[in-house]
Amino acid sequence: MNAMEIIPFPRKRLDKADLDLAATLQALVEKEIMDKRLELKEDYEQLLAPSFARIMSEIGLQKMFWPEEHGGEGHNGPDAAYTVVAALEQIGRADTGLAFLAAHSLALQAALAQEGARREETCAAFASLFCSGDRPVRVSFILPALTEEEGAPEWRGKGFQVVAAPSGNAWKVSGRMVRPTCCGLDADLFGAWCAVADGDPAFILVPGDTPGIARGTELKKTGLAASRNADLERLEATVPDANCAWRGNEGTFRLLSWYYLGVAATASGALLANYEIIREWGDNRVIKGKDHIFKDNPLTAAVMGEVAKDTSVVRLLAYELAGMLSEAGEYGGDGSQALYTMALMLAHQACASAEHAINRTMELMASAGYAKEWQLERYWRDVKAMQCHLGAYELAKHDFARWFYDTVTL
Amino acid sequence: MRSIDDFTRPLEYISPMDGLLGSIFREWVEKEVIPYRRQFDEDYREHHLIHPPFKKLLGEYGLQRMIFPEDLGGWGMGRSNYMCVAAFRMFEEIARADSGMALAFGALFWPFLFIALEPHENRRLLEEFAPMFCETTEPVFAALCMTEPQGGSDIENVEIVKGTTIQTTAVKDGDEWVINGHKLWPSNTGGLAKLMAVVCTTNPGSDDPRDIAVIFVKDDMPGVTQGPPYEKAGMAADMNSDIWFENVRVPLWYRAIGPGDDAKYFGEVMATGNMGIIAWISGAMMNIYERLSEYTSRKRYRGKPLKEDDGVAGLLADFAANIENIRIVGYQCARMCDRHDLYGPLWHPRLVAKMRAQRYLAMDRFIDVTGRVMNLMEAYGTDRDWDVEKHWRDLKILQLVEGSKQLCQIEVARWFYECETL
Repeated sequence: MNAMEIIPFPRKRLDKADLDLAATLQALVEKEIMDKRLELKEDYEQLLAPSFARIMSEIGLQKMFWPEEHGGEGHNGPDAAYTVVAALEQIGRADTGLAFLAAHSLALQAALAQEGARREETCAAFASLFCSGDRPVRVSFILPALTEEEGAPEWRGKGFQVVAAPSGNAWKVSGRMVRPTCCGLDADLFGAWCAVADGDPAFILVPGDTPGIARGTELKKTGLAASRNADLERLEATVPDANCAWRGNEGTFRLLSWYYLGVAATASGALLANYEIIREWGDNRVIKGKDHIFKDNPLTAAVMGEVAKDTSVVRLLAYELAGMLSEAGEYGGDGSQALYTMALMLAHQACASAEHAINRTMELMASAGYAKEWQLERYWRDVKAMQCHLGAYELAKHDFARWFYDTVTL
Repeated sequence: MRSIDDFTRPLEYISPMDGLLGSIFREWVEKEVIPYRRQFDEDYREHHLIHPPFKKLLGEYGLQRMIFPEDLGGWGMGRSNYMCVAAFRMFEEIARADSGMALAFGALFWPFLFIALEPHENRRLLEEFAPMFCETTEPVFAALCMTEPQGGSDIENVEIVKGTTIQTTAVKDGDEWVINGHKLWPSNTGGLAKLMAVVCTTNPGSDDPRDIAVIFVKDDMPGVTQGPPYEKAGMAADMNSDIWFENVRVPLWYRAIGPGDDAKYFGEVMATGNMGIIAWISGAMMNIYERLSEYTSRKRYRGKPLKEDDGVAGLLADFAANIENIRIVGYQCARMCDRHDLYGPLWHPRLVAKMRAQRYLAMDRFIDVTGRVMNLMEAYGTDRDWDVEKHWRDLKILQLVEGSKQLCQIEVARWFYECETL
C-alpha cells in the first residue's frame, strides 16, 4: 500500500474530479520531478521552472477559480478547498517549493473569485493573465513584517512594508527594501497589503512589469529553491484603480485563510514524501549485523511510529481546514477573524509537526538523512523555510490570544 | 554592552593556555573565516575559500602540531591534563564562525588519540608521523575511517556489535598488513587526508575485540582511493567521501596499539568526540545569540524593538538559558575527559555514556530552541545573510556524527541501567 492510501484522508469528501486531479498530478510529478531528482537536484531552469509551468498552465491550476466567462474553470464553490488540498499535497510531495508557489496563486484566486465574494472588477482585469496563454503566473504577496522603521503604520503589531495613496483613477504604491513572501526575483504579480493614510488598508495588485519596481539580487536562503526570492529595493508604482482588490480586513483574512490552507496542504505533501522515504529505509536497512531489520527495532520503530502519527494528523488537519473553509458559516464566516485565526493556527501546527517529523526521520537515517543524494534533507529545509514565511510563531500566538481570549490591548 | 563573553565558563579549571588560545582563535575567525563563510556552501567541492584559513590556522600558526610531543616538534598537549578543556575553547571559537571547520579541525586529531595519549603512547608511530605535521607550514589533514556501507553506526557501537559487522579486512602477510575495504563519510577525506587511521577486522565476523585493528595508512600508498566530496545539507568545510582500500600494504607496526587495545581505546575517540560536539553546539549558539540580539534590537513590533515584547523575551531567555547550561555542562564534560584521576579512564564505557548523554541532550535543546529562533526571524531566519540558518543546517549534521541519537540513547541506557541485550 502506498503513502497515498495508508495515510488517512477523508476520501468521501472529495469528488471524482478531485481524485482524478490528484491522480493526474501524482503521475506528473513522479515522472517529471521525482524521477529526475537525482540528476537535476534543485535545478531551477531545467527542473523546477518547467515543472511549475506544466502544473499551473498545462494542468491548469492557475485557471481553477476564475469564472468561466473570463476563461477560467469556474471551480470556485464551497468544495474548492478540498481540491486545493488534494492538488497541493501531491505537488508538495514532489517539491515543497513548487507547492508553496502554487499555494500563492490558489489563495489569490480564491480571494478574488470565490463564489459569493467575487471581486468582479478585479476578476475582469486579471483573469486573462491567468487564463489566456500558456505562461505560468508567479504570484507573490507583500505582507506586514517586522520592519526597522520607527513609527511605521502597523497591522496587528507588524509594520506595513508598503503604503498606498489614491491618485485620481489610480493608486500610487511605494516601499523600500520590501521582502515579499516568495519569488520576488521573477514574480509576475505582487499582491500588496498596503497602509493607506486616511482609511482602511488596501490590497493592491501590482503586475511585475509595472515601471518603478527595482528588484534586488536573488537571496541565498535555506530552501524553497522553486521560489527565487529577492527584495524589492524600490517600489514606486502607479496602478489603475481596478487593481485595488479590496479595502479592510475581511478580504485579507479571506486571502490569508486560503494561503494558510495551502501551507498546511504543502506540509502534508512533504510529510507524505518523508513517510515514503523512511518506510523504504525501515524495510531495507539491517542493523546490529544480525538480520535485525531496522523497522523491527523497538527504539527506531517508536520513532517511525511517531512520524506516521504526525503525517496522519497533519493530513487530516489540512483536510479539516478545507472543510472549515468550505463551510465557513459554521466557523465564524468567510473572511472572519475567527476563520483566519483557525487557519493560521492549523498552518503553524502543520509546519511544526512536519519539522518535527522530518527532524526525527533524519535522526534515524543519520548521514543519509543529510546527504543530498538521499533527498530527505531537501524537505527538511523547505518545510522550515515555509514555516518561517508564515511569520513568527511567538507573534502568531498573540493572534490566537486575541481571538480566543478577547484580549484588550494585545 | 553584553557579549558572548558574558556567558559563564567554569573559571576554576580553564586551561593555562586559555587566554592565548582564545585571543588567537577569536582574531582568526573574525579576520579569516566570518567574512567568507556565507560562500562556503558553494565551495564544498574545491575548498578555494576554506583552504586559506586552514592554512593559516593549521600550518602557519601550527595548531596541527599540538597533540604531538614537544621533542618531536609538537606542543605536548597529548601529555597534558588540560587537553580537552583547551580544545573546548578552541572548538567553541571556531564553531562560532563555522562548525564544519570546527569538526574538520577536531577530527584531524582523532587518529592520534590512539597513539599520542598516555598510557598507550606509540612512540615509534609518533616519530613516523610527526614530521608530516610538525615540519611544514602547509595544512595537513588526517582522517579516522570508521563507517562502512552496511550498518551505519554499527562500527561505532563497539560494545554490543563488537566489530562483527566490520567488512574492511587487515590480513598479515610477512611483515605487512594487507588492507581491503570500503569506508564512507570520514571527515577530512574527499582528497584532503594525507594520513588515515582505518578501523579493520583481522578476522571477519569475529566478536573478539582483539580482532578489531586500527591501522594507519598514508594517502599516497598504492591502492588508496578517495572519492569526490559528498554534497550535504551543510558543513561544507567538513569534506567527506567514499574511500577505498585495495590491497594496501603497510608495515605491521602501523597498527595503532595492538590486539584488544585498539578496540578498548576506541572509546577515547567516542568520549572526546562527543565532548567536542557539545563545544561546537555552544560556539554556534553564541554566534546565533549575537545575530539574534542584533535582529531583535533592530526589528520593531508594536512600536518597540522586538526584544522588548514580553512574549518574545520569553524565547530570548530560553535561548540564553540554553547557552548558559550547555556551555557549563560542556566544560564539565571536557574536565571529566581530562582528569582521569578524578573521573576514571577516558576510554571507559562509563565516560562514553556520560558524554553521549550530555551531547544528545545539548543537541536536542539546540534543535528545539534554534528552530524557534529561526521562526521568530520570519523570512530573515531562512536568509543566509543572517547566519542563523547556516548554524541550524550545520548542527543538524553534527547531531548525526559519531553515531545517531538512537545509538547515544542505547549507550546511555546500557550503562546507567546495566542493560545486557541492548
